[in-house]
Amino acid sequence: MLTVSIISPEAVLFEGTAESVVAPAFDGEVGILTGHAPMVTLLGRGELRLGTNGNRFEVEGGFLQVLDDVVRVVTERARPA
Amino acid sequence: MAKGRELKGRIRSVENTRKITRTMEMVATSKMKRAQDRVVAARPYAQALSDVISSLYSPDLAERFPLLRQPVKPERVALVLLTSNRGLAGAFNANLIKEARARITELEGRGVKVDVHVVGKKGLGYFKYVGRALATQRTEITDRPTAADAAEIVEQLMVDYVAGRLDGVYVVYSKFNSVLNTPPTTDQVLPVTPPSKKDGASAQRDYLLFPSGEAILSELLPSYVRNAVYRALVETVAGEQAARRTAMKNATDNAGDMLNVLRRTYNRARQAQITQEIAEIVGGAAALQG
Repeated sequence: MLTVSIISPEAVLFEGTAESVVAPAFDGEVGILTGHAPMVTLLGRGELRLGTNGNRFEVEGGFLQVLDDVVRVVTERARPA
Repeated sequence: MAKGRELKGRIRSVENTRKITRTMEMVATSKMKRAQDRVVAARPYAQALSDVISSLYSPDLAERFPLLRQPVKPERVALVLLTSNRGLAGAFNANLIKEARARITELEGRGVKVDVHVVGKKGLGYFKYVGRALATQRTEITDRPTAADAAEIVEQLMVDYVAGRLDGVYVVYSKFNSVLNTPPTTDQVLPVTPPSKKDGASAQRDYLLFPSGEAILSELLPSYVRNAVYRALVETVAGEQAARRTAMKNATDNAGDMLNVLRRTYNRARQAQITQEIAEIVGGAAALQG
């Protein structure tokens, strides 16, 4: 399981676990499963999906960081979709 | 009993004032609670941003990012003063204005031109009074500042800084250390001082970087600046409510003390009058019998 948090300047929008994360990176979607290498990528605009049928968020800009199965999505504009 | 009636009037007036100050105290307490929650909620974002910036940053990158440019001799800087729109918060705004004035004097003493940007009616009032021209002024920031408010304040300043029209940006705000400790503080938001690397932890990991470390940094540095301003806004609101609560608590307590004195004086006057009336009646009766 991945530990995921979605953080905006005003609040932490989500904190919990998910089997997978699909995020809109600046150049297309990026999928993350457990055991992913440490990564930092810029985000574009689009939908962020947790798990196969879990939570969805609209994000725009910011970045995503993966480190030891901890995924942090840090973005100035995010809201639950 | 003219004096008695006068005292009664004053007692009623102080009682009413105390009702108002007590209500304001309670309102400020609840607003402060919410503002404090927002200060806490803003921390994870700042933390995450600092973590990543510090792990990507190295001093040799400094020249390549205009936001990190260290001016040799600053010529013109911007000072953003955050104050509240409402008063009745004790010395809150006065302290912030004093801090800003000290900074302006210090900078101008070194021959630096200072553009003053003011947020909040109380700060505006002061600079209008001393007749200093302001670069920008805003009063539309509410008790719930948003990240968008912060972006709006600082966006133009970043553009000017990158273009070389400004050599520094300072923010004067009320730091919210705790409810009882909200010192007026000046932070330099530009040039950006990159967050320092913490030893060990995640700092030294090799990340896959997309598109590249530089591209990520150039995206995140402006976010970092905006976030610094957002935090200043949020902390100032929390500080304002804390200051108002303290001021109103003192006012309520003082009203209580005043009421005690007034009531005592009133009762004493009433007692004295009764005693005097009895003495007169007794005296009168004795005169009739005699």
